Amino acid sequence: LSYVPRVPPMALLGKVTATTFALERPCCIFDRHANASDTVWLVVAFANASTTFRNPPCRADVPPYKQLPATHSYMTLETAAAAYACPAPSPAVLRVGGDTACKDQGRQDPCNGPLPSPGPYRVKFLLMGCHGPKAETRWSDPILLRRALSPSTIDAVPPCCGSDVVVIASLLASLGTVLATAVLGTLGAKVWGSLCQRDLGTSAFARRSYRTHHISPVLPQPLPPGCQYSPPGMGCFALRPPAPC
Amino acid sequence: MAKSEDCIHILQGLLVFGNVVIGMCGIALTAECIYFVSDPHGLYPLLEATENNDIYAAAWIGIFVGFALFALSILGIIGIIKSDRTLLLVYIILMLITFAFEMASCITAATHRDFLTPNIFLKQMLERYQKADPANNNDKWMTEGVTKTWDKLMVQNHCCGVLGPSDWQEYTSAFRLTHNDADFPWPRKCCALDAQGVPVNLDGCKLGVPGYYNSNGCYDAISGPVNTHAWGVAWFGFAILCWTFCVLLGTMFYWSGIEY
Repeated sequence: LSYVPRVPPMALLGKVTATTFALERPCCIFDRHANASDTVWLVVAFANASTTFRNPPCRADVPPYKQLPATHSYMTLETAAAAYACPAPSPAVLRVGGDTACKDQGRQDPCNGPLPSPGPYRVKFLLMGCHGPKAETRWSDPILLRRALSPSTIDAVPPCCGSDVVVIASLLASLGTVLATAVLGTLGAKVWGSLCQRDLGTSAFARRSYRTHHISPVLPQPLPPGCQYSPPGMGCFALRPPAPC
Repeated sequence: MAKSEDCIHILQGLLVFGNVVIGMCGIALTAECIYFVSDPHGLYPLLEATENNDIYAAAWIGIFVGFALFALSILGIIGIIKSDRTLLLVYIILMLITFAFEMASCITAATHRDFLTPNIFLKQMLERYQKADPANNNDKWMTEGVTKTWDKLMVQNHCCGVLGPSDWQEYTSAFRLTHNDADFPWPRKCCALDAQGVPVNLDGCKLGVPGYYNSNGCYDAISGPVNTHAWGVAWFGFAILCWTFCVLLGTMFYWSGIEY
């Protein structure tokens, strides 16, 4: 038969995974050759072993799933030929490798177990009657399964220095520096000014009076103990030698 | 003297207004940061497992800075109205300290937001989701957190993986060690589920038939809230700091002119 099995072209994310793959259902292919009692098998072989595969002469010689590592091929998905008849039944794809239960139980029935390795496979459909193979399709193109990478290959190092971070950091740093300088400068100037100042009257700094209040003339009050040599109105300066300006 | 009296009053008025705005922004910052810390989207376990949850630290600092700004703005208003040098000096110094903390919070939020790339979530999901044998209690806690969060994310947002369900196919994972590829090309939560949480069509989900599985990635559902969180803290804090800078300069100018 000239039909070539293939992976369905439609967008199915799971059509090829690490251990399974999907095939288009071969509808109407076997109608001319099949009787009611015939069965259609799927032959799965490694791509390099497909040329050496020989169709089994009868059902007893069908290579089972377990022999895949040894003989590099097996047959599975035994279905009645009527399932592939023309009015196409609903699932339009066949999934190879979807049955995980039969792998462990070791039943001799045709087992559609998961494929053990990603190595490219080729498939063909084989119509078997009571006396042996009656028809077969062509081999498919090699189907390569997915190989998964280790997550340690993912590069999770973050990229450096997005523009937002640079803007925020630089502006804030400059604002903070200006503020700190302003505070230190103001405080320093005040401290320096108060150290230098000894008399009423002219001071080196322009002072703005924020509170106007009436000063009534009073006699000089006796100073509290410990305050000496202080002009009135300047508060109490403790006795200490004059500091150099 | 009348003109300088007017200038003084205008300056006082401006500073009081500035402090009122700072007080209100402080309350707003506290409210915003409490909202973020309460984690309404349930993404904290993912960030905790990346060991990079400093945007939460930034939000916590924001809560306290907001309160401090509010309290200090009241202090500032009182100090300006009374023209009291001591009060204003205390105000300026405490405000500087608060400024420094808020600077730290903004820069932390902005920097650590950049750490949270899709790859970091992908790696964490692959290494931790449904990990079977955790090394110690801390690992077990993080694994449970990551698994529960991803399950909730995938079901609520109808998404799968970080960039898509193919993440589970392209990389091996802790999930893959316990769930074989043929039955679980991707987790069951990626399938379209009915009201009871059972996949609508399991075979369709495994094959990837459109409609029976979630084909989008979850990265948008994660990065949206995280971005809002980080930028909310960083940029709002930055705006407050710019305003506070101006008010502080004005206050220092006012303070330097007050007579003893």
